[in-house]
Amino acid sequence: MTVLELKNIHKSFGDTKALKGVSFEIPAGSIFGILGPNGSGKTTLLGIMLDVLKADSGSFTWFDEPEGENPRKRIGTLLETPNFYHYLSATSNLEITRRISKRGAREDVEHVLRKVQLYERRKSRFSSYSLGMKQRLAIGAALLGTPSVLVLDEPTNGLDPEGIAEVRELIADLNEQGHTIIIASHLLDEVEKVCTHVAILKNGDLLSCGSVKEILADEDWVELSAKNLPALNAAMSQYPGLLHHRIEQTLVLAAFAKDAVDLEAVNEFCYRQGVKLTHMLLRKQRLEARFFELIQK
Amino acid sequence: MLDIAKIEWLKIRSYSAFWWVLGITAVAYPGLNGIILMIYHKAMGTMNLPEQKARLMMGDPFGFNEVWHTVGYFSSWFIFIPAILVIMLMTNEYSFRTHRQNIIDGWTRKQFLTGKLLDVGIVTLLIVVFYLLACVVIGLKNITVGERTSGSQVYFIAYFTLQTFSQLSIAFLISFLVRNTAISLTVFIVGFLVLEPILGRILKVGGTGIEHFLPFEISNRLIPPPGFWGHLDPASYQLSMNQAGNHAGYTIVFTTILWFFCFRLNSRRDL
Repeated sequence: MTVLELKNIHKSFGDTKALKGVSFEIPAGSIFGILGPNGSGKTTLLGIMLDVLKADSGSFTWFDEPEGENPRKRIGTLLETPNFYHYLSATSNLEITRRISKRGAREDVEHVLRKVQLYERRKSRFSSYSLGMKQRLAIGAALLGTPSVLVLDEPTNGLDPEGIAEVRELIADLNEQGHTIIIASHLLDEVEKVCTHVAILKNGDLLSCGSVKEILADEDWVELSAKNLPALNAAMSQYPGLLHHRIEQTLVLAAFAKDAVDLEAVNEFCYRQGVKLTHMLLRKQRLEARFFELIQK
Repeated sequence: MLDIAKIEWLKIRSYSAFWWVLGITAVAYPGLNGIILMIYHKAMGTMNLPEQKARLMMGDPFGFNEVWHTVGYFSSWFIFIPAILVIMLMTNEYSFRTHRQNIIDGWTRKQFLTGKLLDVGIVTLLIVVFYLLACVVIGLKNITVGERTSGSQVYFIAYFTLQTFSQLSIAFLISFLVRNTAISLTVFIVGFLVLEPILGRILKVGGTGIEHFLPFEISNRLIPPPGFWGHLDPASYQLSMNQAGNHAGYTIVFTTILWFFCFRLNSRRDL
């Protein structure tokens, strides 16, 4: 089952094309990461999904439901900047969220405030809160009435390491309970730790989309090193079947098709080219490396 | 609709600035009319005529019947005070970015704007209550024993309500487009007190009567200057009284178009 289906979304701001025909589906029960460098269109895409921005063309459907059902009531959202009425207390702000979203009962407000450790300060004005407290209140609002989907935009911003760990744990817990979680983030390490699926954006283009396993599984990487690194690099450019390679600090990183690399053959090839290897390692590709590969193409 | 009204009430009830400005409005409307009443009494006193003769000349603008018209006319001068309330209630949403959050939480854009329409309606009703209180208090103070009262000008309550709603809707439109409290208020006051009167004078030269259809003037013409000014130019007074009914229609059309524009723009623009 699909939670969200995006079809050919285009969006421009003046002459700047923020999204260029983005299409993908978010499977139910997944933790879906939307990755991209600054200006890649992540926040624009979230804005369109949440109806605060209007796409120039294209369409999207939540929960396979017809339009007009207002599916956003089933979605908890945590944005980069918490948006609340500054003069109202935490309780009043959550009560407004609860009534608009129609998620949860009145007692849930109190329950959520305890969960995010703001119960003692529930009557204080939002404007008197620290950044961390504001972020916690936003998490509380997103969790109100246990929505079926959570949309998180840079969820760990402004949190201390303990808070970051709590959010990570929370995401995992909610996913275990069957909730779908959509995360837009530039923290690749964070995303790799929690996400099951990712979409990678650059300059409004969708570069790659699928499960983390799929995205990482199409290539194997071999770390190579030799005393004469330029010679090794030149030699590897002649290697048959090599997808691409680059020098990274004291290493040459060589990419091969999945399960196609023969380390002995590589060693022998280099030796024949007059390069003696001092280091060779088949390494598991990390999302970060894959991400940089994709966005540098 | 009731759910939306309850949520708007939640937003307003703890907003101290709202209650402060409302308090000022509550004092200002009867207070300003009271000052005008004092000026009127002073003017009557300086005429050195017996009261009955003076009344024949000046009419009885603060007695029951004309009081609805007179107080409505003078109260409409101070529309910028409740306009502050309307502007604050909209620009706050922009400042706190809750105009986005309310949509993200599940309201449709139409529901959000319906909430704002209700805000304008509620502020209008509160202003009408202050106006009615001022009318009743001033009217009772000026009632003469044995005087026959008439309700023939009670329809000015409806005109005042319509005028207030229309002009507060203009305040809303400005804040909806400008998004900043101070700038919105400046645009409203400058438009109301300076720009429109100047434009009105310029357009009047053409003699087409188009100046009657400027945004504020279209509803200002619902409540023409009160009776005692009419004694200075009875023909013009009678004409403006006769035209008030037409302007009720024009005001309804104008205000409907204004809100239609707001709803349409809100449904299409980025928040």
